[in-house]
Amino acid sequence: MENLQELLHGFTIAVTVPHLVLMAVGVLLGILVGVLPGLGAPNGVSLLLPLTFGMQPVSAIILLSSMYWGALFGGSVTSILFNIPGEPSSVATTFDGYPMARDGRPTTALATAFGSAAFGALIGVILITFLASWVAQVALAFGPPEYFAVYFLAFASFVGMGGAAPIKTVVALAIGFAIAAIGIDTVSGSVRLTMGVDELVKGVSFVVAVMGLFGIGELLVAVEEEFHARAVSSKIDWREVFRAVGRLPRHALALLRSAAIGCWMGITPGGPTAASFMSYGIARRFSRRGRYFGTGEVEGIISPETADHAAGTSALLPMLSLGIPGSATAAVMMGGLMIWGLNPGPMLFVDQKDFVWGLIASMYVGNIVAVALVLLTVPVFAALMRIPFVVIAPLIVIICVVGAYSVSNSYLDVVMMLGFGIVGYLFKKLFYPLAPLVLAIVIGDKAEDAFRQSMLLSKGSLGIFFANKLVTCLIVGGIALLLLPLALQLARLLRKPAPSTGETTVQETVPEKVII
Amino acid sequence: MISRRALELATAILTGSFGVAVVVSSLDNGIGWSSAGVDAGTFPFLTGIIVVLGSLYNLVRGLVPAATLANVPIAITPTELHRLAGLFVPAAIFVAAIPLLGMYLASSLYVLAVLAIPRHQSVPRALAMAAATALALYVVFERMFQVSLPHGALASALGF
Repeated sequence: MENLQELLHGFTIAVTVPHLVLMAVGVLLGILVGVLPGLGAPNGVSLLLPLTFGMQPVSAIILLSSMYWGALFGGSVTSILFNIPGEPSSVATTFDGYPMARDGRPTTALATAFGSAAFGALIGVILITFLASWVAQVALAFGPPEYFAVYFLAFASFVGMGGAAPIKTVVALAIGFAIAAIGIDTVSGSVRLTMGVDELVKGVSFVVAVMGLFGIGELLVAVEEEFHARAVSSKIDWREVFRAVGRLPRHALALLRSAAIGCWMGITPGGPTAASFMSYGIARRFSRRGRYFGTGEVEGIISPETADHAAGTSALLPMLSLGIPGSATAAVMMGGLMIWGLNPGPMLFVDQKDFVWGLIASMYVGNIVAVALVLLTVPVFAALMRIPFVVIAPLIVIICVVGAYSVSNSYLDVVMMLGFGIVGYLFKKLFYPLAPLVLAIVIGDKAEDAFRQSMLLSKGSLGIFFANKLVTCLIVGGIALLLLPLALQLARLLRKPAPSTGETTVQETVPEKVII
Repeated sequence: MISRRALELATAILTGSFGVAVVVSSLDNGIGWSSAGVDAGTFPFLTGIIVVLGSLYNLVRGLVPAATLANVPIAITPTELHRLAGLFVPAAIFVAAIPLLGMYLASSLYVLAVLAIPRHQSVPRALAMAAATALALYVVFERMFQVSLPHGALASALGF
């Protein structure tokens, strides 16, 4: 009950005129970056970041998180109306959303998507309301070994459940760690990995990396294909909106299952993209109408949308209570928290009650604002898609360049941003996951510090990671997740004795070296 | 035309050489255990090793015939390459021009060039958009958020 009181207090902070205006601005900007291919939630949020430095932390996080909700919704708009996913996490929405819209039911498709998305988000926020402070309380007792174990588990779950090729995930993670280590070492004070470039002493800002990886990288992927904005009608029939939302409870099972998948994938850093694909796949397997999926099935829209938003929302839970972001966007927001002088993690719930509960309350309000605004503005943003890509692309390049420069007024950052753009393009093209890379850049330093402090405590013995039940469980869980892809591969080979045994030996040796 | 295989190999070599650079560079900070605990270079050293090993694995994976790679042997077709270059080359020139021309001039020229030269827009419209870009940047950054964008060597030589 204490939580509810805190939440009510949070509402008094969130529901004020300036904050409601910030929410509306954030949501509209979010829809904008969500709609535009090449700009997504992670770099939308990082573009806004330099502009929030002068704000109160509560106002700043409300602006950024509202932008996140807006981007999640905006991505679905283009998926349904144009068959172009504005966000990676709304790819699964195109499978059934676009066919339904093409068959002359765009309003039904949009309303179903928004309704189930709002439901997913609501479940995510409720989860945060009741669980976050409890997790934070548990985490207050954590020492460095526990922290390292939690970080380890987070990274391992990317490898085990991220869906990308495991070794590619490992490479992406390790590169992120190395980038995080560039600059001054926080423990010893010595300068690391600058490779002779003096300006690198300040380190590589994650904002610069995100702009390049997601902004320029995604733009380069997008420019390869000619855009055919074959729009279906984007007129909204308001009566149909309410009818479609009214029909949602009939699919209660799909809604709840997808929300559960979403929350799970959001808390363990699987991220919204993996959540929506997983939810869609499971729905297709278990639905009675599974074989009609792909032709405009209602559950084919509900499942990915609910999971996407549930994951996006609940990704903030580990960020707030443990200091471990559950998605790339949450990682960027967490970077913001550190810049505003807050220390993400359990102490937030003790020192910064206003901030935490203001944010949680704003998540309830922000999602309502987002649903209303996105329905009202669908025609406007649909018209935006008719602006030719050749006009939008240079504008996005300029936004990224200026954004990278404004982080610390450094020209080197701009050049690095462009370099990250090439890396982002290559990684996207070859299915290297980007989220673990960003995550490692943001929390790599903390993970390293936790490891080194643990080593100091134990005088160099790895035994400290098996010293009590909690740590042991976390570490063993992490190792199990790391080995999961290998186990699945072996199981597949045992079932179907393939001649390619030479390949398995390579796979067997590599993951072992990863567990350090 | 660039094959999927070539792209995989190039990326693996790129990540691998980054790993090698990290390993070599971290040796300067010392790896292992000293009186102050774990040396500063240890963690980067280990991540570098992981990057190198992972890249080697991806390299081998890329060399193995196409069965393991998705069924698309071609990663980038000539038309796609053309479009890519059409976006990236002007962007790179734009970034390279910033120190000399400054952000405002460089970005307007960039907008003008990419819109008017391939005749996507008429010259007057492209000119208008270029001017609007510079103005918007000035209002948002220099005025509203007090972030000073680089004015460039040319502007300072002229005394701005």
